Amino acid sequence: MNHSYIDKYADLDSPIHRIHPRIKIILFFGLVLCVTLTGRTAYLSFVIYGTVLFIIAVFSKIPLLAIFKKILAVIPFVVLIAVFIPFFNKENGWIVFSSIVIKACLSIFSMTLLTSVTKFTSLLKGIEGLKVPKIFIMIMSFMYRYLFLLIGELQRMQRAKESRTLLKTNNLNVIKTLSNIIGVLFVRSYERAERVYLAMCSRGFDGEIRTLDE
Amino acid sequence: MHIPDGFLAANTWVPAWIVSMGGLGYCIKRVSVFLKDKTVPLMGVMAAFIFAAQMLNFPVAAGTSGHLLGGVLAVVLLGPYAGAIVIAVVLAVQCLVFQDGGLTALGANIFNMSFIGAMGGYIIYNVIKNLIGGNKGIIIGTAAAAWASVVLASSACAVELAVSGTSPLRIALPAMALVHMLIGIGEAFISVVVVSFVLKTRPDLIYNNGEEAAYE
Repeated sequence: MNHSYIDKYADLDSPIHRIHPRIKIILFFGLVLCVTLTGRTAYLSFVIYGTVLFIIAVFSKIPLLAIFKKILAVIPFVVLIAVFIPFFNKENGWIVFSSIVIKACLSIFSMTLLTSVTKFTSLLKGIEGLKVPKIFIMIMSFMYRYLFLLIGELQRMQRAKESRTLLKTNNLNVIKTLSNIIGVLFVRSYERAERVYLAMCSRGFDGEIRTLDE
Repeated sequence: MHIPDGFLAANTWVPAWIVSMGGLGYCIKRVSVFLKDKTVPLMGVMAAFIFAAQMLNFPVAAGTSGHLLGGVLAVVLLGPYAGAIVIAVVLAVQCLVFQDGGLTALGANIFNMSFIGAMGGYIIYNVIKNLIGGNKGIIIGTAAAAWASVVLASSACAVELAVSGTSPLRIALPAMALVHMLIGIGEAFISVVVVSFVLKTRPDLIYNNGEEAAYE
């Protein structure tokens, strides 16, 4: 299956990629924090943040077009929520609107860069170092491990459905069939989780996860 | 409904983070009492399931499409505490990897969707389920809770935007609530079909369904 959307550029080699994940996380999270806490009319600061992010992007050797495509994909959602602000806030509506869109874009730029230069597994390892409860990290790493498997399963079921439904039917039938697919996926995932757990138990799992690089 | 960064002021997202983290800590405590060391594999795979289910696009009308949010589905199948954790983990991964929802707004997004949406939905589901009883109660409860959870979560989102001074409450709240009253119908329909499928095939997997609960 195709899962290039996670970790596509995380295996490149650049000065930015080589920085310790925890430092990268602090750097990019810090940038997001700064962006959100900056005043609404501090346009000079926005320009500085944008330039810093742009320089990092150039040094990280990630195709800039790919990053901008990723930002562009998220922007419609941002504008959709923000678009009604100028109409109801007569005094400074456009200032609020533009500052929110700029802030959202800068934050997305920062987070996109972080996930493009850090592998998801090292991202989790780095977050763990920031005192996030271990149980969440373990759940997230499990989720990451099984996500591709379940998405693959879903895609296979969809393909099976499409190859059997040649005639055009109304939307209600399509929604019913797709909902049943989710039902099947749930039962299969649950049973898979039970098998995984039993397999872990038979290998001596006692609630503690140990990795080789500890 | 995933609030991006920049929409919430610090007077909103900081308290939302604190409340969400406290709530999640309590959920983990409650879940690990009966799941014990099964917590991690089960929650992890279920989070992957909700994530995958959200990727499935449903045709709506005039070429547009929507997807399942899955909050009530998660609590009906897994119970309120486990369901809330699963939704929170999905939101965290969406924020980190797909920039779907902001980092500073993650606390508020978890608060809206895990606690207001999923857990609030569970309370409604539970009341209706016990009132009517049987499979009929589960189905009707799921439908009402799924619809209400979407409306409640979006209203909470509107209140947070108003507290941050982003948009005035008297416009944002009705606008968000009205739009999501329509979206909620789709959510309710999908949740009902999924739950009735599970009722037919593995009724024991539905949380607190009779004596043969899966969690034992």
